[in-house]
This record gives sequence, structure tokens and C-alpha cells, in this order.
Amino acid sequence: MTMQTIVQTIARTLDQEMSQDERVVVMGEDVGKRGGVFLATENLFDKYGPDRVIDTPLSEAAIIGAAVGMAVHGMRPVAEIQFADYVYPGFDQLVSQAAKLRYRSGGQFSAPMVVRMPAGGGVGGGHHHSQNPESHFVHTAGLKVVYPSTPIDTRGLLRTAIRDEDPVVFMEPKRLYRAVKEEIPEDDDTLIPLGQARVRREGDDVVLVSYGGSMGETLKAADELERQDVSAHVIDLRSLMPWDRSTVLEAVARVGRVVLVSEAPRSLGFMSEVSATITEQVLDSLLAPPMRVTGFDIPYPFAYDREYLPGPNRILAAVQQVLDY
Amino acid sequence: MIKGSPSFQPFSEKPISLIGENGEWTGSFDLTLDDGELESFYRDLVAARVLDERLVRLQRMGKISFVAPSSGHEGPQVAVARSVRKGRDWLYPYYRDTALVMALGVPVAETVGQMMATRADPNKGRQMPAHAGSKELNVFAVASPIASHIAPAVGTAISMKLQGKGDVVVTTFGEGATSEGDFHAAINFAGAQGAPIVFVCQNNRYAISVGYNRQTAAENIAAKARAYGMPGYTVDGMDPLACYYVIREAVERAREGVGPALVEANVYRYGPHSPADDDTRYRPAEEVESWRKRDPLIRMRRFLEKRGLWDDDQEKKMREEIDEEQRKAVQQAEASGKVPREWMFDDVYSEVPEHLAEQRDSLG
Repeated sequence: MTMQTIVQTIARTLDQEMSQDERVVVMGEDVGKRGGVFLATENLFDKYGPDRVIDTPLSEAAIIGAAVGMAVHGMRPVAEIQFADYVYPGFDQLVSQAAKLRYRSGGQFSAPMVVRMPAGGGVGGGHHHSQNPESHFVHTAGLKVVYPSTPIDTRGLLRTAIRDEDPVVFMEPKRLYRAVKEEIPEDDDTLIPLGQARVRREGDDVVLVSYGGSMGETLKAADELERQDVSAHVIDLRSLMPWDRSTVLEAVARVGRVVLVSEAPRSLGFMSEVSATITEQVLDSLLAPPMRVTGFDIPYPFAYDREYLPGPNRILAAVQQVLDY
Repeated sequence: MIKGSPSFQPFSEKPISLIGENGEWTGSFDLTLDDGELESFYRDLVAARVLDERLVRLQRMGKISFVAPSSGHEGPQVAVARSVRKGRDWLYPYYRDTALVMALGVPVAETVGQMMATRADPNKGRQMPAHAGSKELNVFAVASPIASHIAPAVGTAISMKLQGKGDVVVTTFGEGATSEGDFHAAINFAGAQGAPIVFVCQNNRYAISVGYNRQTAAENIAAKARAYGMPGYTVDGMDPLACYYVIREAVERAREGVGPALVEANVYRYGPHSPADDDTRYRPAEEVESWRKRDPLIRMRRFLEKRGLWDDDQEKKMREEIDEEQRKAVQQAEASGKVPREWMFDDVYSEVPEHLAEQRDSLG
């Protein structure tokens, strides 16, 4: 057993997958000798060399597009986009090529690949190092989207994503990269299915649903609620496409109150989908309207990012609203 | 360098040509294609033209909704098909490559089935007409966003390099594609990796209505290759044998590990961009006529006649055969029937997820 951070589990999981399957290659800017700007690919270059740990030109379109062509040709590329904010030059490759290839070819071709990207705010990164573009990917049929929040989940989900037959956007909560540690056995080879949520704590008074970077604040809010004798049932979605509707709906139907927490912008954010599904499916069980606590519909603000991010106080205020309704 | 092959000069001032306007061989080396190969080359050119004209008629009859006329583009397209190893090398074509996929061996019934969205379409009726794709022949499924296929083509070439089996990718596109960021990102990566890929630009001088001089200030497309550390060749695209020898050499050099190359073939599209386009609004009829006089089929036929390989009787017989073959293929494509509605939800993912199964069931 060793204590590992999220970023350490990424490097170790990539290493293990590369050693088990020679089709797996890692590619991106600075992933080679540098080991990635967050060191998520540390030591891989020394072990596997430049053919399997490919330092690419500085071009997201080239990285994602070439990964499609490699995947089609039988490789299992794991492409790194240095920050999720930089995915846009490669966006056409994700949505027009990777996502649609299987469909538009009638199942003749497919692009089993992973695009990893550190996302989210709260690290002093400023506007172009803090965004959460997950809704774009969820809205694109053909992509799977994963966004874990713990080392163990990162490990099990990344492994599944690499072995998945479809293109997977793997978003990593960079403010939790080194903030969360878990004990992981050396020989752990767990595969966590995509689309399966994890109940982070059991409770009866209110359901809190979140994922990725916002899990930290959501759990803090749950701790505070416990001190106030309010028992929160906390669900970590982990995957956004597909997402675990039954775990959410069952909990909400049982408890009747739900607060949905995501730091992505509010309008058409992923939690809008969760909220709509809840009202369509379990309206009669609701004791209060589902409340969203999200980022605002503004570009990410460097100077006020603590106000922008849904912190424990905003979550607690929303919980109070659903309790008082 | 491939043995016994001519070596062409990159970045030449004039487009490379091997057949004169009157059909005479002007190459500085001996022809390596035998008589049978020359005749079948010509047959491919004619069959492509006949198919293109047939597709335009089918569109006017309302049997297909869209067509991207390829008449005038036959030279480089047939040349690419004849330069690769079928089923080994990979093709990343664009939507105006009907002649290419046909010459490569994609059955006409499949091509027409794709255009009619019938069961004869291996792509299951997912895309608008003129978007080929064949796993069997390694033809990557065409996508509409311009130049978006070029980076995947480079990825496949890098994969081939890592596997070291001597396979090659050829990707084709129009000159408009060279304005897209994806083109530059991809060709740059190919250069940096020394990937076995040949970029073939079919420069027909118009991106729909936008003329070459509005597209780029570069004197030609081949010149762009300099910036990416690879040779760039400008070829007379109306000269099928020049297209063939230059592209084949580039392909073989890539196969030997020399690295990528860019080949620009100067062609002309006789027809509009698509049925929705009125090309008389942006180009004079005299211009179209002047290019028709340089027709690749006429040039190749004169070449065969000069060598005593071809006459009117052979021409008539061949055209009748092609016509009959294609007529049957169209019938076959139509007769295969519409793709079933339930297929709409397949192939979004490797398996149909719960939410899509529900949406499928909601159709009733």
C-alpha cells in the first residue's frame, strides 16, 4: 500500500497500461523528457522511448487528429492536452473526427483513444488555465466523458478509458491533483466501469451531487451539514457520458431534496441535464425544486475565482433553501 | 530513390508534364507501363468520367440529393489509386474523389448506394452523398469539414512508421484545404516525424467561388512544402501520366522511409462545386472551355493512338461496356433498399448505451 496523489496515479496507471499493451502510446506537448507540465507522464519517456512517448508539435489539432489516425490504425493513443482551455484548436478533430468516425463509417472504423486534460479553477491559473468545457463534450454524440475526483477513481477509470472501444475525454481536476491522497495497493488492477457513480457518503436529509474539482467543496459542505445535524447523501458522478441516472434518481426519490454542484458555467451546464432528468423522472418524490450551484455565465475571472467557484457557503445556502422550501 | 525511376525536380517553375498536347511522350525517361497497363489506365479515366456524368443525371432526376462533380480531376485521382498497394496502404480522400475510390476498386454499386443511402452503403446511410469510406480497401470515411481528415491521415502514417511495415498513406484535398489550420498542423507534424505520407492537392483554382488569388498569395501550393521541410511538386493535373509518375515516386520514397512529400496537381472542375452552385456567376465560360481543351481523357487517348494502341472501335466497345456495368450497378444499389430506421442508433458508441436505447424505443 502506498499513499498516492491523483497525478501520481495517472503516471503509474499509464506506465502499467503501456507495459501490458504495446499498442498504448502517450502523446502531447512536453510529455516526453519533461514528463508533462504536471508530471503526469513522469519517467515514461526513459522507460518507453520517443516512439511510445511522443513529444508532439505545439498543436492540439495535430495531437488529437493524429491520435484519431493512430487509433484507426490499431494503436491506443492517450493524448494529453496541457490545459482543458487549450482544447479548442483541436475541437474540430474531437467532434468531427474522433466522435463521429464510428457512426459516419457505419461501424467500419473507430477511434479508441483517450484525450486527457487538466481542467478547472482554483489554482491561481487565471482565465485560460481554469475552465471547465465538459458540456461541449457531453453534447457531442460519440464521445464519452469522465471526470474523477480521487486517486482510486482516477486509476480505475483511466484504465477503463484506455481499454474502451470509444473515444474518451478524460478530464482531471487539477486543483485536486496533489490535494487528495489515497492508499492504493501496488497490485490493484481494478477497472471501474464508465457511467457508474460513487456514493461518497450516505445520508437522509439532502442529496448532494457533484464531480471533479467541486467534490472537495461539496464534501466540506457535507461535513459542515453534519455539524448542523443535517445528513447529506453525497454522490460523485465520476462519468458524465454516460452518467449514472439510476443512482441519482433512486437517492433523490428516497430523500426528496437535491443540490447539484458544478463549477462549470450555469446555462446548459451538465447539472442542467441532471436537474431536467430528475424533474422528468421523479417529480412526485420531490419536496423542493432541484437547486444548481454552479459557476457563473461569465468567462473565468482571475481576480475573483474564489467567488466564481461554488464554495461550501454557496452550497450550504442552497441546501438551506431546499430544506426550507 | 526508387530503382529505375525518374527523379522529378521539386519546386519547379513549370508544372511537370510527360504527355504533350498532341499526345506525344515528352518524358526524359522510358515509359515503364506496359500496353495493358496503359489501356486499363485509360479505361479508369473514362469510367470515372462516365460515372460522374451519370451521377449528375441521377441528381437531376431527383434520385440523389447531391453530387460533387469530379470531371476534370481524373488525372491525379486515378494516378493515386494506381500508385498505392491496395488493401495495405491507406487513403484519406475528400468528397470530390469519386474517380479515386472507383479506380481503387470500391464497387460502383457501393458508391451509388452511399449516395442513395441504401443498404448497399457500408456507411449505413449516415452521410450525405459523395462521402466514401471502405474498411476493406483502407479508405478512411470522408468527412465534410475541410482539411479535418489530414491530421488523422498523418496519425496513421506515424503509426505505420512505428510498425515499420513499409505501408504508406496518401491523402487528397483541394487547394482551399490548405487555408485551414488543420492542414498546417498536420503537414508540420508529418514533416517533424518523417512520416510515410503523400499529400496530394487537387488544385482546381476554386473553393466553391473563391478563386486561387483570394485563397493564398503563394505562387503555388507546392511552395508551401518548403516551410515543412519536404519536397513540393507541381504537376500538370490534366496529364494523367505525369500525375502517375510523380505521385508514384513520392509514394515509393515515403515507403522507403525518405519522408513525406506534397504534390500539387493543377486540375480544373468543369462542373459547378455542387448542384446548389451556379459557377457562371464567378467564372467565364471561355475559361471552362479553355480547360476542356486540355482534357486528360483526350490527352491520354491521343497518347494511346500515337502508340498504335487505340482506335474508334475500341473506344466504342469500351464505352458500351462501362455504360452497361454502371447501369447494372445503379440498379443494384437502388434494389438493395433503404437502410432500416433502427440503424440510426447504432455505431454512436461500440455498444448502444441505455439512454440511446430509450430514445430508439421512443420511436415506437
